[in-house]
Amino acid sequence: MLAYLITSILLAVLPLFVRSERATNIIAALFFMVQVAGIAALFHFDRMNDVLLSVFRADTMAVTFHILMTCVLGFTLIHSSSYLKADGISTRSYKAYYTILMLLAVAITCVYYSDNVALTWVFLEATTVCSAGIIYHREFRQSLEATWKYLFVCSTGIAIAYMGILLLSTVATEGSLDYASLKEAIVNGNPLYLKVAFLLIVVGYSCKMEIFPLYTVGIDANYAAPAPASAFISTALVNAGFVSIMRIYHLYSSTGEVFEWARHLLILIGILSLAVGAMFLRRTNNYKRFLSYSTVENMGIVCIGMGIGGLALWAAVFHVICHTFVKSSMFYHVGVMRHIYDSYSINRIGNYININKVGAIGIIVGTLILLAFPPSPLFISEVFIFSEIITVGSWWLLALMLVLMCVVIYAIWSRALRLNYHANQDTLHLSAVNRRLSYSASVLLIAAIILGVWQPEILKSAIDTIVNIG
Amino acid sequence: MTLSLIILYVLTLIYLSIADRFRNHTSILAIQGVLLFGIAMAHLHSFHPVEMGFIIVETLIFKAIVIPAILMHVIKKTKINRIHASSSQFGALVMSIGALAASCTITYNMADESANIIFFGVALYALLSGLILIVMRKRIFAHLVGFLVIENGVFLFSMAIGVEFPILINLAIMLDILVSILMLGTFLRRMDDDMHTDETDALTSIKD
Repeated sequence: MLAYLITSILLAVLPLFVRSERATNIIAALFFMVQVAGIAALFHFDRMNDVLLSVFRADTMAVTFHILMTCVLGFTLIHSSSYLKADGISTRSYKAYYTILMLLAVAITCVYYSDNVALTWVFLEATTVCSAGIIYHREFRQSLEATWKYLFVCSTGIAIAYMGILLLSTVATEGSLDYASLKEAIVNGNPLYLKVAFLLIVVGYSCKMEIFPLYTVGIDANYAAPAPASAFISTALVNAGFVSIMRIYHLYSSTGEVFEWARHLLILIGILSLAVGAMFLRRTNNYKRFLSYSTVENMGIVCIGMGIGGLALWAAVFHVICHTFVKSSMFYHVGVMRHIYDSYSINRIGNYININKVGAIGIIVGTLILLAFPPSPLFISEVFIFSEIITVGSWWLLALMLVLMCVVIYAIWSRALRLNYHANQDTLHLSAVNRRLSYSASVLLIAAIILGVWQPEILKSAIDTIVNIG
Repeated sequence: MTLSLIILYVLTLIYLSIADRFRNHTSILAIQGVLLFGIAMAHLHSFHPVEMGFIIVETLIFKAIVIPAILMHVIKKTKINRIHASSSQFGALVMSIGALAASCTITYNMADESANIIFFGVALYALLSGLILIVMRKRIFAHLVGFLVIENGVFLFSMAIGVEFPILINLAIMLDILVSILMLGTFLRRMDDDMHTDETDALTSIKD
């Protein structure tokens, strides 16, 4: 782990010392290979579930999400290169972008592997600092505003989460803050402290998972960052928030009445996130913000799944995994679209089907997958969540979800149709059309469809393990 | 001794709610750093050189010197002087006293015997004071001060709970916070340069 970390960090800062963009690309490729090699080494040397450097643990959840992050990272690195070149930025900015992106990947990886509740917090705060650099990358007025809001709200949110961690650590025996020790000790904790701790931690981490109440900073961040970076933030970073909350969720699973309370809180947050997503998906006039609100909506569904538990918890994890493929692909497609129109404006751009057929088909298919239309993997996860809701008899929750999801379906589908078939009002920059990027973005959609049709045994058993860590 | 320092700390929070010059805000934060040093030292049960060193770095050097210096630098560069003219001092004072009363009530109902009730209540008051500053004030700089007040409250909260993290984790936490504040300061200056604004009302170019 130490070798992996040192190599990754060194490679991440290396672009600052090279001269050309080509050298930066080579370093980025090496960085990607280090990620792959790191994962391969875990399996090859049979280090799964081992404690690494006393504070990291290569458990199934960490490795699964690291693999997902590496997949998205590969595509992000490729798409970023084209995106930045088309933007005509300076070599200095190009190198800075890759450095920050790679440092963000390292920080996110550390969040996944962290086996210590305080260290998870430390690395989540580190992701805030790295993300801020990416959000500000384009250096225009809105990106400055978005960066300030992101830094400020995330730092305040994370400070609140820290108070929750302090409250939670009152149960720690001999100062040990690793998740396994805390799980044993938590049964003796003060229930009121534990409830407040859970509330503070979830509220604080909500800025990372893009759920209610601090979801707004994620929306602004995705809006201001370059589209490939938005894909990374909306998936890998959101997953880091999910993993952090999931670990706390597992901690609480042995607390009886407190756990029941925590699950109700998650259902409430899920419903509110779903409602916010449904409301703003209709209102927004920017395709990147539109996709970000879709993330809020999907993470809301995930929270509801966690709150319901049982089969719905399994579905929630599956939903997050599939969402990673679909959402990143959609952001890459939108990035390609932006090359053509030089705009993300929903009201102005259209006729995409006649301008870039591959990209248009990708967006239609991606939209259908987002809407959980079979063979979408999200169809499976949502059906599982609904069936579990019916099993526990929460009919009101089912009805509320269905109503909100109808609004979501209408909003998403009408926007996809508008983009493809509505008359275009914007200036076109057709020289920038890069169909190879559209094809590559579609690879992730194909991966999602495959997961919708066939779930490999290894994935099913990985999710089983993640769900049953508690 | 500890009680006197805590009372002084509460007074700084009340004064912060009515102070209108940002230089005063910065001075109060420096004083809070010194007070936190005194409180932490008085709270130490025995002589631990490493722990003492860490407290000196975190409170005296970091909270009382480095952060105020960064803030002073920002004030000098951006030439922001005082809070928005329309801000009501009386309203802020009433809110602050209300927060103090709320903190006492919550502490009375929530804190158990494992926590230091006085620290707990004051930490909660610091948290609420920071949030009030962020909500009530329009200038971005005041928000930064609010964030730092919350951070000081969190420090006090850790003493109230009696939690001692390993030194490496404490260092990492401190470094994280320092980098965030440095970045916030940098972006605040950039906003002043590029957007010619230091008010939150101007941050409305991103919306749906």
